[in-house]
Amino acid sequence: MLDDVDLTCEAGEIHALVGENGAGKSTLAAIAAGEIAADAGTIERSGRIGLVHQHFALIDRLRVWENVVLGHEPQRGGTIDRGAACAFVRELGERYGLEVDPEAVVETLPVGIRQRVELLRELARDPGILILDEPTAALSPSEVERLFGTIALLTQRGVGVLVITHKLDEVFAHARRVTVLRRGRVVEERPISATTREQVARAMIGGEIPAIPEREPTHGAIAVRVSGLAVPGAIENLSLQIAAGEILGIAGVEGNGQSALADALAGLTAYRGTIERPHSIGVIPQDRLLEAVIPNWSLLENVMLGRERATSAKASWRIDRAAARAQCAAIVERFDVRAASIDATLSTLSGGNQQKLVVGRALVDNPAFVIAYNPTRGIDIGATATVHTELLAARNRGAAILLISFELDELFALSDRILVMTRGALRGEFSERRFDREAIGRLMVSA
Amino acid sequence: MTLSLVLSLLALALVRGTPILLAALGGVLSERAGIVNIALEGEMTAGAFAAALLSYFTRDPWIGAIGGVAVGAAVGFALGFAATRWRVDQIVAGMGINLICTGGAAFGLIYVFNQAGVTPQVPAINQALWPMVVLGIALAAALQWAIARTPIGLRLRACGENPHAARAAGIDPLAVRLYASAIAGGLAGLGGVFLALGELNLYSDGMIAGRGFIALAAVIFGRWTPIGAAGVALIFGLLEALQFALQGNIAWLPSDFLQALPYIAALLALLGASGRYRPPAAEGKPYP
Repeated sequence: MLDDVDLTCEAGEIHALVGENGAGKSTLAAIAAGEIAADAGTIERSGRIGLVHQHFALIDRLRVWENVVLGHEPQRGGTIDRGAACAFVRELGERYGLEVDPEAVVETLPVGIRQRVELLRELARDPGILILDEPTAALSPSEVERLFGTIALLTQRGVGVLVITHKLDEVFAHARRVTVLRRGRVVEERPISATTREQVARAMIGGEIPAIPEREPTHGAIAVRVSGLAVPGAIENLSLQIAAGEILGIAGVEGNGQSALADALAGLTAYRGTIERPHSIGVIPQDRLLEAVIPNWSLLENVMLGRERATSAKASWRIDRAAARAQCAAIVERFDVRAASIDATLSTLSGGNQQKLVVGRALVDNPAFVIAYNPTRGIDIGATATVHTELLAARNRGAAILLISFELDELFALSDRILVMTRGALRGEFSERRFDREAIGRLMVSA
Repeated sequence: MTLSLVLSLLALALVRGTPILLAALGGVLSERAGIVNIALEGEMTAGAFAAALLSYFTRDPWIGAIGGVAVGAAVGFALGFAATRWRVDQIVAGMGINLICTGGAAFGLIYVFNQAGVTPQVPAINQALWPMVVLGIALAAALQWAIARTPIGLRLRACGENPHAARAAGIDPLAVRLYASAIAGGLAGLGGVFLALGELNLYSDGMIAGRGFIALAAVIFGRWTPIGAAGVALIFGLLEALQFALQGNIAWLPSDFLQALPYIAALLALLGASGRYRPPAAEGKPYP
């Protein structure tokens, strides 16, 4: 996983650790924080190393204060001094701009606030170094600003902060040094002032960023026709059409009915109205772990999941394992999924590599209709380029594609046409790739 | 029905309910730490048999009682050890322990006493029956308080909800689970002691009669809280007491049905509870 890695994070500095999915960043963080053991090498530290996980390691059913003081509870006469614990959480929150209600149960809190709880928990242990693993992956832009405000306060107090990310914007806006990890090795380590974004990006992927293929002119017939669609509580009277060879982008803030639209089109939820769509469909679901894969299964089994018959040319009662293996190997090859083998357990792969497998599974049978929901959420530059290339290739082959994304850049790069979704309705239509960022942004937040 | 009849029914309910209550408290403890405890039945059996055996040979029922608790704790420790250090599936380990304990007691009867089915009469602690009833209820209240308010209670809950987070907070989930399982075994063993030496003065095959599993139902229906589980255990006790009171009084109702009443109630309770109550999030999941 990691090979002869040297990394130094100094007190009071923000040090960025960047690299593609599967480069070994999270493993390095877990070793540094003492959660897993290294085969060789040493760790020298001044003070404790705290780690804020990418998928928060909180105890969801406990209260905020219980999570923060666990293991070092303030006591009075043998019992936990709840008042002192809550006061401690409030005081720490005020000092670092991490205000949270200490009495709230964690599972009732939104993602951005949960991250504050995890930060508070680590800060309560007075760390010398704080490692943040992909801290902005699930945050809104304003929450990201706030987080870096907190990080600045920490560095002023002499805490060294190691930020693991693959968002180069954040690296160049905030970090003092950057270390690039590729396939388990350090390939570059420099002060930010002595490098450029292009240089770091090249170091991350070990070459040039692959160019996105040409957008071929396609004039297909209408392939998907939705009229009068209604999903209780989410969508009322929605109509849309997608032509073969067209990518229809849906812009919008999360929670405006996008999930219901995707589920209705995929046949996963009850709806009223009519949906006409091709039978052959590929779906890249919104939540990878919840809807797309079975983490305890191998790559091979996950690729076969739901396509047990598609792997074999002749209809048969048994699975053609040889054909399935060949097909899985082909997906792994074409989508650059980095895994020990196709028999490896899926959960041993990094998130980006899992996602590439999910995208590969959705596109391998050349479906006539593709639903792509945040197809590149939380994955790196190289993997994003792979996914975008394959979606455009599917479009050029004549597939109708519904692209739901919360990232405008992604919508602008891929869509032929964009509709804005707010409160379960579609408004504004931007066609022929004439996209007006400001107008779309205004529509997204309009009531 | 006269007042004295009602009072005697309630008294019987407390006596019949207490062994279930003690085992259920053990179940709450181990499950809140993350160990599914279907071995309560075996732990009760081991406690009851060991208590009768020790009381017979030492002629001191108190040594028997303490020995019964200790043997129950040892069985709980074995379950915890298998589940934590060897990462054995907790359901499989629990089933194995149940089979070993019931089979071992049956074998012990023949091996030691040269007779199948039942031990000779042994010195008992019948005078301690009511103090043990009170002890059980007091334990429920004390555990409720300890789990909610003390550092060790918070750490116990943390291990049952997310042992990885507990580990990151400097707690050793394996040790917490191991000791919780051992204490649970001790409590279930005390339930067995109550039956063998408190109510009766012998051990007989099948005397636990599924009370360990009824205790498990009480844990679930009591939503994994000591007070809740204790309350449900006493309700099961009341059903057992009702069965005694009604037997022979209602001619058209077969006595077999009356005897099955507590078990039917447990089944119905679980049907009602299934899906509505959330067990500790990491229950049954091996760590790491």
